[in-house]
Formats: sequence, structure tokens, C-alpha cells
Amino acid sequence: MNIVIVDYGMGNIKSIASTLKYIGVSDILVSSDYEKMKNADKLILPGVGAFGKAMDQIKEKKIDQFLEELVLKEMKPILGICLGMQLMGNSSSEDGFHEGLGLVNGLVEKFNTKKVRVPHVGFNQVKINKDSKLYEGFDQEADFYFTHSFRMTTNSNINPSICNYENDFVASFELDNIVGTQFHPELSQHNGLRLFRNFIEKI
Amino acid sequence: MLRKRIIFTLIYSNGYYTLSRNFRLQRVGNLTWLERNYKFQKIAFSLDELVVLNATKEKKSIEEFAVEVSKLVNDVFIPIAAGGGITKVEDAELLFKNGADKIVLNTVLKKDPKLVKEIVRKYGSQSVVASIDYKRNNGFNEVYISDGTYKLEETLEEYLDYVLGLDVGEIYLNSIEKDGTGFGYDIDTITSVSDRINIPLIIAGGAGNESHLLEGLKLEGVSAVATANLYNFVGDGLPIARKKILDSGENIARWNS
Repeated sequence: MNIVIVDYGMGNIKSIASTLKYIGVSDILVSSDYEKMKNADKLILPGVGAFGKAMDQIKEKKIDQFLEELVLKEMKPILGICLGMQLMGNSSSEDGFHEGLGLVNGLVEKFNTKKVRVPHVGFNQVKINKDSKLYEGFDQEADFYFTHSFRMTTNSNINPSICNYENDFVASFELDNIVGTQFHPELSQHNGLRLFRNFIEKI
Repeated sequence: MLRKRIIFTLIYSNGYYTLSRNFRLQRVGNLTWLERNYKFQKIAFSLDELVVLNATKEKKSIEEFAVEVSKLVNDVFIPIAAGGGITKVEDAELLFKNGADKIVLNTVLKKDPKLVKEIVRKYGSQSVVASIDYKRNNGFNEVYISDGTYKLEETLEEYLDYVLGLDVGEIYLNSIEKDGTGFGYDIDTITSVSDRINIPLIIAGGAGNESHLLEGLKLEGVSAVATANLYNFVGDGLPIARKKILDSGENIARWNS
């Protein structure tokens, strides 16, 4: 199993790499190189930071074009985590309007700071979508670790699993080879390890 | 429902982990000691987060601290917040690269607000924890920076408003008076602070056993309780405390093993 963690200069790459190593993935590369991404069995799109800046860096390295080809045409499995998941949507209103990668239909907007404490930090329950292979072996609900101020909502059927904070939002989605989690599986103890295993084995 | 968190804080100074009492540090052991006595990778499975603070009183070496953080994070699958001695963006970057998921800022909140804003812009509010140390004097809470050595003019309330204006993600509120005493948290101050802020609040200083943690968790505006008491929670101390708190029905995360 060869996994490339897509490197656009933002993200908690060390945590993700050490988690993959722990569950037995031997071949982990951190790269933004087209050939390496093309040769990978699976991709992970990490992300911590601001949406606009992330998209700028992704475009600068042409990662948006690589992903369109590898993920939409060649159907290579990809897991977006936190900001990486948000980037897969259509757009974000973080610091103005920014277009995303558009791999799935989803809008990213800020939580209402008047109603809840923002950022949303800590473990929260995810209502698990039984059609999602990411959660094979899970019960109906499981706790995962979140830390974010913006969240995705959608009108399309992207097979979401739902979390509630202020309102329901997309905790994860799964459209064939394209999956994303708003939470950090690499920081979510046993539940996170199990989800990573499912991504490796089932997606 | 969003769960509340139990956080362990490791206080690092010059190559050693320490016990702090009213900010006076006592060496306990190095990382090898910690691993032997804490079996950290196992213990981490009863924690929601780990905070690591470099409290070295002399000049802090961010490089040395980053190496320490990188050793600590191996095979620990929980969020790690690290800080102490960050004075430029590159320092924060170094800690993130070495496995920190968040960084903790204290003295620079006052001394270099521009830097704080720059770090927030680059990494997002959720990556920045603002640590505030305070002490009660004549009925007022005074704020201290530089490892508790320098008193600010502002009251705690004024300082909180100022820090919130920097768009930090969380407040780590530490009572210097209660620090390391094991007498329990400063509930009065915590209650007044939690009403004032609309970001997550982590409380620290005073927890000596699980009933103190529980008392803190029960406060409505508290998002997380922290303890730095290496001795009281040694061995199976933390797993047992977590189990008791879970059994009491408190709203903390449940993980399937």
C-alpha cells in the first residue's frame, strides 16, 4: 500500500503519517509531485489553516489539476481531513469568497458565534451513515475529535454522516472514491485508527 | 453533543519534566522516566488532549523543545498543544512540524500582538491557545506573563477582552495561587471568566484528584479541565480517574477500544 499525503505546505502531516505507520502502512510519501501522486494507491489531503491561502498554494502547485485528473477521471481514492475536506467542496466564505476544488457539492460557512462557542473543539458524536464504508464495524454513533470554526453543509446527496453543533453539519461524506472528514481521525484515538483502516481496506 | 475534555499538562524545563507549585518548579524526571512511570502511549488513551509547556526559566531553546515534542508524539493519537518561548512565526512553524497540533501562546499575547495575529491568520484560530496566568491580590485578579515573573497593569477582565480581540481559539486559564496545590480549581474566577468569553475555556491550577476534575467539568462554561499533577495521576491514576468520571455520567468522550 502506497499512500501520498498531498503536501501544499499546510497541515499536521506528522500526526497523519505516524498514524498510518502505526496501522501498518509501509509506504508513506509526503509530496505534491504529479508522478508520485499518480503512482499512489491512495491520496490524503490534509489541512490546517485558512481556506483562501490553502487554495492559492494548491493552484500554484497545480494540485487542483492533478486531483481533477486522478480523482475524478482515474477514480483514485482520496481522503480529505478537516480543511482538506472543506477544500473538496464548492466554496468557502472564510475571509471573503473562495472557490474550492469542487469535487463534491458543499458550502463552507462559519458557525454562528452568537449561539455557540467557536471554534468547535473536542470530541463530538457523529451519527453514522450506514451506507458509508468508512464506518464499517461502527455502531450508530461514534465520538471523533473536531477543531474548526467553519463547517460544511450540502443540498446534494454526498452520503453524509452528521454532527450537530448549533445545527447539523457534514461530519464526513463518501462519494465512491471521494471521502472527507471534518474531524481529525488521526487525533481520535481508537475510533480514528479504525476509520483509517477502513479507508485503506474498503475505499 | 459536544463532549468536555480532560487534558494533561506536562511542564518541561531544561531537559526535565517538573512538578510546579505556585510556579516554583521541581524536577521529576526526563522523558525516559516519564515513559517508564507513565507508559505514556497507554495513558494517552485516557486523555482527550495533551499540553506541553516549556517553562525553562532561563533562555528557552525552541529547537531543543521541538525535538522533545517530536519524541513525545510518537504513537500518541491525541491532539498535542505545545508552547513556551515562541517569539516568531518560525518558532510556531517548527513546533507544528514536530508534531504539535496547536500552539500555546502567553507572553507574546502582550508583547507582540502583531505576531499573534499573523500566526492566527496562517494557522487559523483553532490552532492557537492563549494561556493566561493570574493571581488574586486584594480581591482583584492580576495577570502575569513571562512565567509568572512580570505583573501586568490590566485586570484579568480587561486582559481577557484584549486577548479575545486577537482572535485566538481557546483560553487556557491558570491560577498561579492554586497551581500544584491540589486544593481544587478557583471556581469563582472560572465562573466569572466563562460568562465573559465566547470561545472554549480550558481551566488549570489546583486539580489534585478526580473529584476536582469532575467539579470543573460540571461548570457550564468550562470546555476542558487540565491537570499537571504528575504524582497524583501516576501509573493507573488517569485511566481510573477517567473511568470514575465516565461512570458518574459526565459528558466526556467514549472511545471503543
